[in-house]
Amino acid sequence: MYTEKRRLTSQDVKRISIIANIIIISLFIVLLFLFWNIQILKNQHYAKLATGNVRKEIIIKAPRGMILDRNHERLSENKISFNLVLIPDYTENLNRAIDTAARLTGMTKKEVNDTIEKYKDFSKSYAIPLKKDLTLAKAIYIESRADELPGFEINIEPVRDYPYEGMASHILGYISELTPRELEKKMTEGYRLGDVIGKSGVERTYEQKLRGVDGAKNVEKDNLGKIRVVLGEAQPTIGNTVVLTIDMELQKFIEEIFKEYNGAIGVVDLKTGGILAMVSTPNFNPEFFSGVMEKTQWEALVNDPAKPLQNKFVQSLYLPGSTFKVVMALAALQENIIQFSTTSLCSGVIDIYDRQFHCWNRGGHGNMDLYEAIANSCNIYFYRLGKRMDIDTIAQYAKMMGLGQPTGIDLPNEKAGIFPTRAWKLKTLKQKWFAGDTVSVAIGGGLIQVTPAQILSMISAVALRGRTPQLHLVKQIEKDGLVIEEFQPQFREVPISRENFEIVIEGLYRVVNENGTGKAGKIESLDICGKTGTQLILSLENPRYEQLVKQKRFTPHSWFASFAPRYNPEVAMVVFIENGGEAGAVAVPIAKKIYQKIFNRQ
Amino acid sequence: MIRDSLRFFDKLAFTVLLALAISGLVLIYSASHSLVYNTYFSRQVLWFFIVVIVFFIVYRLKTELVFDYSFPVYVGLVALLALQLIVGTIIAGTKSWIKVSFFSVQVSEFIKIPLALYLAKTVTKITLIDWRSYSRLLTIVGIPFLLIALQPDLGTAFMLCSFLLIIAFLKKIRTVIIVFTLVTIAAGGFIGYNYLLKPYQKDRIISFLNPEKYKKSSGYQIIQSKIAVGSGGLVGKGYLNGTQSQYKFLPTRQTDFVVAVLGEEFGFLGISFLFVLFFLLFYRQFNIKVQSDEEFYYVYFFNGLILFQFLVNILMSVGYFPIMGVPLPFVSYGGSSLLSFFIGEALIFRIKANPFLND
Repeated sequence: MYTEKRRLTSQDVKRISIIANIIIISLFIVLLFLFWNIQILKNQHYAKLATGNVRKEIIIKAPRGMILDRNHERLSENKISFNLVLIPDYTENLNRAIDTAARLTGMTKKEVNDTIEKYKDFSKSYAIPLKKDLTLAKAIYIESRADELPGFEINIEPVRDYPYEGMASHILGYISELTPRELEKKMTEGYRLGDVIGKSGVERTYEQKLRGVDGAKNVEKDNLGKIRVVLGEAQPTIGNTVVLTIDMELQKFIEEIFKEYNGAIGVVDLKTGGILAMVSTPNFNPEFFSGVMEKTQWEALVNDPAKPLQNKFVQSLYLPGSTFKVVMALAALQENIIQFSTTSLCSGVIDIYDRQFHCWNRGGHGNMDLYEAIANSCNIYFYRLGKRMDIDTIAQYAKMMGLGQPTGIDLPNEKAGIFPTRAWKLKTLKQKWFAGDTVSVAIGGGLIQVTPAQILSMISAVALRGRTPQLHLVKQIEKDGLVIEEFQPQFREVPISRENFEIVIEGLYRVVNENGTGKAGKIESLDICGKTGTQLILSLENPRYEQLVKQKRFTPHSWFASFAPRYNPEVAMVVFIENGGEAGAVAVPIAKKIYQKIFNRQ
Repeated sequence: MIRDSLRFFDKLAFTVLLALAISGLVLIYSASHSLVYNTYFSRQVLWFFIVVIVFFIVYRLKTELVFDYSFPVYVGLVALLALQLIVGTIIAGTKSWIKVSFFSVQVSEFIKIPLALYLAKTVTKITLIDWRSYSRLLTIVGIPFLLIALQPDLGTAFMLCSFLLIIAFLKKIRTVIIVFTLVTIAAGGFIGYNYLLKPYQKDRIISFLNPEKYKKSSGYQIIQSKIAVGSGGLVGKGYLNGTQSQYKFLPTRQTDFVVAVLGEEFGFLGISFLFVLFFLLFYRQFNIKVQSDEEFYYVYFFNGLILFQFLVNILMSVGYFPIMGVPLPFVSYGGSSLLSFFIGEALIFRIKANPFLND
């Protein structure tokens, strides 16, 4: 029955099956060779890729060290922030993930895109921070839907918190994320993208102390980024605690009475040189910088003419005005040009080198010795000193007293200022020194530029009769509650005789206590010594002086540099107010309130 | 008859088949046990028992009867495919499944049996392939090919073409037809690629040539599969210990990429074991005595199909072939595939067990 159906001969079948067998055998040999190549010869290559797929390192950010005041009040600490991050590798579709991200964060798609774009050169498994400081509710919402949101994760990170909000902001400074340029330089120090760094204030100066050591967790993650196994974990180490010399109670008091003004105040503990309070107004809230700052917010801060980001105490330069008469008096005494008893007649105006120079008191002070000249801040007396002294000699004394050079305080970007000399003028302005220039310098005018910190350093040296304390903000560094580093008080000797200091101090005493320019500062039970300075913006020689001076921008700057008590001085203080007006009426009463607070006297 | 059929039953080949299917179960469990709603393993176990029962039912059918009914069954299944396509067009969504209670049945998997039988019957009557017989064979394969390709399930459709290749291997063909066919394939490939294929289908083909470029999309599967196989080494990472498989980096690992699970967890030794099983199967099933030409052709058609699908699946898993979406015969998850291959094999067992040939 089947034979009639057969057309294939047995030879045909044999031939076909031999060929088929040869084909099959060779196919299997080729296949075995193929898999041998992939699994055995290239095993290491693929094993590495497989490990790379699953093994991931998760950085655990270290909390930054705290900043405390001298009484261990917390000025800067950490709180928990929930951040939304996106890992492109674990998304199924990046465009859809961008839509989801926009929905979750309330950002626009473009903003999300721009954020992701910043990280385009990074590995696809890098966690891109999309939004910081989510609400707890939102963080829980996202975390609980992790399975539906592949690629999204909530990172818990410590962020800076400032319990006193905007207070002491110029001392503390602020932190913010490293810019890509900074990152390039700092990569070797272990900074990563998204890390923060101190940008100003103590946060910046003590960056290395405050910064902790990040921890890491080695995990195995699945294709959706879910952690399956934790292989190892290194705990982060919190940064060291920085304890300031600041007394927050005093700081707070000063900030409150000074907040309407535009200027700077510094109070120093003369026993150590530690700053007790330092205010620069207007200030800013450092928390601004920790979160996501709007571009407009940033621009408003930068472009504000009152310069809230600038620490006027160390970063702004002004003419010292009459406070400089302290240095002039010391120089003249030390150079034996005058004695305390040397008198001079003030008639309100004087002709020097065919030019008229006025006293602020147009009616004239009459005949005065040095004490009276200081107490009344008589310009004529000091013009005459300027006429009799050489500028380079004056400059030498100014330098001794710390003017025109940084104080070396532990704050970033301190300005040096300028104290002019012949050589300096020739080099910088390509001009010869004129005798008239010295006359202007003699009353703290002309080309001098100093910071309020330098004036504080100068008055401190006077108070200590020739010992300049090193100004500083940090008392000690602590780790786990133990002091690991302490600031030792340092003093620099000024080669001026003690007698001459006593003479000048008598003048400074009279300024406040014997009807001088600072009489508004008198406190019965406290011997305050100080020197006012009303630095005119307009020249007294300006014919429209009386008219223009009423405008705010032409109102004189107001200085008061002082210390107390006269003997065994404890604190020195500088009060400076931009366009504040008459020093005796503005700066002095503020200083008085601060002294009352410090010494608890009425 | 029963005693005869059991007497000449190829126990070795059947053991190989069972070993393949059980290997499949072992791998499917590994591939899916960590899924939250995992029914793959239990479903496949159930299928396994059904398949074994059906195997023996089919084994007892009379060979002549099977060939006689191949044409009506072929027509019936083609009609079902067409119906699926029409209904599927109306009810948008997946078109290749007809729901039968708990299980879904893939008609396209079953057409290969009557097709192989009917082709064998047809080819028997042909001595030389001329234009007439050529167009006839093309029509027989072409209709189900088109219906399946339109679903669209190019992989399964493409596997049907292996029958034509086997015919070319077994039959004398006029030279002009060979030339014509090659030119048509080249032209058709060009037109099809540029005008007919959907973008994702094109990506699959291109990404096979340069998977790194399509790392995030269609190249992902190839890369992850190669990593899985390559990282397995000689002995593998151990059962349920493959990171690629367990952490779900491997896509469709219980179906198309089941070999990658094997390669990762059991290494080169595991792969070699699989190859030995398949080699034994082909060795036993190709080299048999037959009673008639049509039986001979059927054996070559069906074993040839298994060989092709095996090759495509294996090569695709290590990036030497475009991703076709075809399961590994007997091993991959899928009841329809398992059942249809066992039925096809049962017929070959039946042919082998003919007492007239075994004396």
